[in-house]
Amino acid sequence: MTEIDIHADDVKMVKSLCYFCHANCGVLAYVKDGDVIKIEGDPDYSNQGGLCCRGTSALLHLNHPARVNHVLKRVGEKGEGKWEQVDYDQAIQEVADRLNQIKAESGAEAVASAGGTTRTDDWARRRFLNQFGTPNGFHNALLCWIPTFMAETCVAGWSPFETDLGAARCLILWGMNPGASTLGGMHGYWDLHNAGMKMIVVDPRYSETASKADLWLPLRPGSDAALALAMLNVIIYEGLVDYDFVGQWCSGFDELSEHVAQYTPEWAAPITWLEPEQIRTAARMYATNTPGCIQWGCTWDQIGRASTTGSHAIALMRALTGNLDVPGGDGMPGPALNFLTDEEMELNELLPEEQRAKQISRFKLTSWPGYSLISDTAKRTWGKTLPTEWFCEAHGPSVFKAILTGDPYPVRALICNATNPVNSYGDAKMTLEALKKCEFLVVVDYWMTPTALFADYVFPAAGALERPTIVTHYGATDSLMGGSRAIQPKFDRHTDMVFWRKLGLACGQDPANWPWETEEEAYYHIMEPLGLPISCYDDFVSMIRMYYPPLHQKKFEANGGFWTPSGKVELNSTIMQELGFPGMPEYVGCIENEIDTPELCEEYPVVLTTGGGFMPYHHSEHFQMQGIRYLYPDPYFSINPALAEKLGIEYGDWCWIETRRGRIKMRANVDNETHPNVVFAPRGWWFPERDGSADLSNPFGCLESNVNVLTSVDEEDCDPMGGSWANRGLMCKVYKCGDFDAEFTAEDAQFSIPGNASEPGIHAKPSERPLAREPRPFTKPEPEIEVPEGYEWVWQNNTLYQKGTNFRLDESGWLVNPRTKGYHDAYTGWRYDAAGEYLVDDETGKIYTMEREEIPFLGGVRGYPGVEAAPFEMPEHLRWNVEAGYAMLPDRQLVYDPNSGWMIDPETGAYHDAYYGYKYDAATQQLVDENTGTRYTMTYEPVVE
Amino acid sequence: MTRYVMVIDQRRCIGCHSCTVACRTWNELPLDIVYNPVVTEGVKGTWPNVHRSWLPTLCMHCEKPACVPCCPTGASHQDEDGVVWIDYDKCMACLACVNACPYGMRDQSKLQPRLHQFVRKCTFCRDHRAADPGAEPYCVATCHQKARIFGDLDDPNSEVSKLIGSVETVRLMEDLGTGPQIYYIPELGGKA
Repeated sequence: MTEIDIHADDVKMVKSLCYFCHANCGVLAYVKDGDVIKIEGDPDYSNQGGLCCRGTSALLHLNHPARVNHVLKRVGEKGEGKWEQVDYDQAIQEVADRLNQIKAESGAEAVASAGGTTRTDDWARRRFLNQFGTPNGFHNALLCWIPTFMAETCVAGWSPFETDLGAARCLILWGMNPGASTLGGMHGYWDLHNAGMKMIVVDPRYSETASKADLWLPLRPGSDAALALAMLNVIIYEGLVDYDFVGQWCSGFDELSEHVAQYTPEWAAPITWLEPEQIRTAARMYATNTPGCIQWGCTWDQIGRASTTGSHAIALMRALTGNLDVPGGDGMPGPALNFLTDEEMELNELLPEEQRAKQISRFKLTSWPGYSLISDTAKRTWGKTLPTEWFCEAHGPSVFKAILTGDPYPVRALICNATNPVNSYGDAKMTLEALKKCEFLVVVDYWMTPTALFADYVFPAAGALERPTIVTHYGATDSLMGGSRAIQPKFDRHTDMVFWRKLGLACGQDPANWPWETEEEAYYHIMEPLGLPISCYDDFVSMIRMYYPPLHQKKFEANGGFWTPSGKVELNSTIMQELGFPGMPEYVGCIENEIDTPELCEEYPVVLTTGGGFMPYHHSEHFQMQGIRYLYPDPYFSINPALAEKLGIEYGDWCWIETRRGRIKMRANVDNETHPNVVFAPRGWWFPERDGSADLSNPFGCLESNVNVLTSVDEEDCDPMGGSWANRGLMCKVYKCGDFDAEFTAEDAQFSIPGNASEPGIHAKPSERPLAREPRPFTKPEPEIEVPEGYEWVWQNNTLYQKGTNFRLDESGWLVNPRTKGYHDAYTGWRYDAAGEYLVDDETGKIYTMEREEIPFLGGVRGYPGVEAAPFEMPEHLRWNVEAGYAMLPDRQLVYDPNSGWMIDPETGAYHDAYYGYKYDAATQQLVDENTGTRYTMTYEPVVE
Repeated sequence: MTRYVMVIDQRRCIGCHSCTVACRTWNELPLDIVYNPVVTEGVKGTWPNVHRSWLPTLCMHCEKPACVPCCPTGASHQDEDGVVWIDYDKCMACLACVNACPYGMRDQSKLQPRLHQFVRKCTFCRDHRAADPGAEPYCVATCHQKARIFGDLDDPNSEVSKLIGSVETVRLMEDLGTGPQIYYIPELGGKA
């Protein structure tokens, strides 16, 4: 053991950010001779010096012997594991040529790209895809925040996701366990809880966080929508509503009251397994301790067909209690108005309308149809909008099915960057088959994952300490935080943006569209409009690190309304209606449950919930690292002792967990942390220590303990609005592995489409399968007023907006810029300058009269040609030149500047005094008579040499 | 005088094992050695009336350590500031101290060749603090929850002195008379 001296002269400290989960904790990296020798938590960042197991392991990750360090090109059969090491740029060109060939043969849409949870921005991927011409980029976004965000934006104009806990009196952690997922936040919750903030935890499992709560609601997994609707009912019918807020800022309260009358706590009790009184207590605690926050939890987006119904109801709870964008409530940051948004970096305008229409998704809220409505509203109200990356994506499982079925059209190439879809997307058996069958598979990753095993090319990715990280909450907030890279990427590893840029240029994309060679250059471009005293991105990190805009709360008051089409918080959402969805949340149960599918529960009697986070892993990561794997070497599921006893299961026994769709093996953790009829199975498991090629039906054991074998991506099981697939509240059976039934076999790995089919194979065209809820017909009203060319009419507020700029046509006939609230001339677009009472063309800087005549300037002084008398006071001895519009000295070509009181020489810009025309000499602060050379003081006394 | 102790606030601990991993990472421990395991107590009770807490452990740096007088070579000894540590050059891995420690906080790694084996344990990061006087033990610095607090009990203004003087603390197996110097602030039930 040698102690590392971080104070030595040759050791440099770099402020970096952790990259192993979304919390992005601050990290101080100590660098010596171009290598990181030590890291520690940044005490001046939100994590207050803390680092979890994953963060502490960053150096193990950086230097792990199993990392992919060079481009690997497949030379054997797919999955055989035979590779040739090739030059990075050569490989990029080969991939580009193949992608261009596929595009020429089958159209750009035959190329898709899968992502995982990139823990920073990802606009470079979309910038590539838009230029390439394919709409089929996607992430696991539909399981993580995006459907919730879109539903919340339909209600209030932006997601109220930035909790202001310092001033909050109540916090609901709903389907979220920061005690095992984002530790950086947990200490804050705990401190505030100790200071008196009520903490309600909604979680079917007695989680780390639940152990610290004031009130814990152990609901049946997947019944969140029923709980939220019943809490809404209590808030309304017990009169716990913030009537002032609702009266002034919301629309549709009476309709909503009528609508939720049916969802009483007594109605919800058998669905949620909670007592009506528990639901009432929770609703009262939340609604009477205002301001308060509801922290978004992943669960909301993982319940399948009931997902967005639940998050929609929760969005209404915040509105009715007046917790939107107020101090101590749920802040609605809006897009970054003061620096460039991710959307402004994506080049979305380059993706033609006909290509947008080809996006593979039947779920309108989170693809082009819904995005367009939401985004147009955002541009009309905020002046900027959400990125298409994350918020407007293809439906991942449908793309995998398209690879296998050719429905709706064949997808021939897939680029997986930062994802191992077998473990992270639903229906793992089908997904694995799609990766095997994919004609051309390119993977960018740290490791040889089960996905990478089937790739034609594997590109090495730069990791945490090798890349700068920027935090703008995926382009959805107005603040910005940053971390620097500690070192340049090792070996042939490259950062994501560099990969996409190189690939784009090799595909023949315009170099002018890829001006930045490094992330740092791009990030500096993003923050340049802030006008900070910095000359590069790393300056920002070392000197400023965090930027917050000045006005951060109650922006709806300054704005004069919320950022919805009607300007109100829409308790009955018009955008939802326009998309064919109910405008108010209508209950639907999770895909398998005792009430809706009793016959299924006879064979599969136990409720299964999957997808929760657990230390020390994150998604399907970190199983390679012995230094933390020893904490949790095998997959364990939690089972209640009563159920375990009934099933003859003891602690540590290997057991099968089986749903209609397949079965997996895990070891039993017999513990009272779950309900006697619930089992909890963690996500992500695979076994990188095995030889992947040894068993291609289950490479690296990627199926045998993978909960996604059990989840469903069938069309009718997905959320009909947002497309989330079903991870929670599934029905299963659990039994011990028998002596002759202990191995996961090739038979267990057989896939089917739909996944719920009893026989393997493809039985249906995905595009012809029914959805959980058929679209509800909606007819947009006809315009009540004449719509001039170049304008669009918004039916909700009966207002015209100019196409292109999205400026509102005011009653006065002027256009109003939503971002600046400035007025613009409707014919020319020129901005009205109230101080100068003239129009400004911001593009050219030229200035015009209100009659749109260009205003001349001489030496920076405005002229008034044709005006009979000077429109300002001027010294008496000056002469008003009507033709030129200037006040002048009788015999000199100098113009009088009424602002400074000096005469200006238009040729040189030099200042002259207004009485004699003597030139001002700034060096001596004297006046000079240019005819005689005589110098005068400022009071006209001759200067004696 | 200086008397180093640690206060462990069980009310704050959430069982994330960050302390364990930070310790093994920066002290470069072999895979079969853990200085400071976090023990999960529970879940106690019957669903849904359940409760759980965590017990982070480490060497107790006792006032009268049982592991020091039993050492035949003088490798195991205690500094004036209370830190108990092992001089690896003198240790011959006879395991007398391992048997003597009532807390089971000492062990030798079997992953090293027999002739290079020695007994290891937590030293309150003695070497690390000597190299960097401002530093805290790794397990303390890394804790998001600030559940581990390290300091000088002889300094009345230190955080540990203030805590021990104001909050009820307990020590493990105090009846053995070894005077353990790890002070636990216990969990009070479902909420503290």
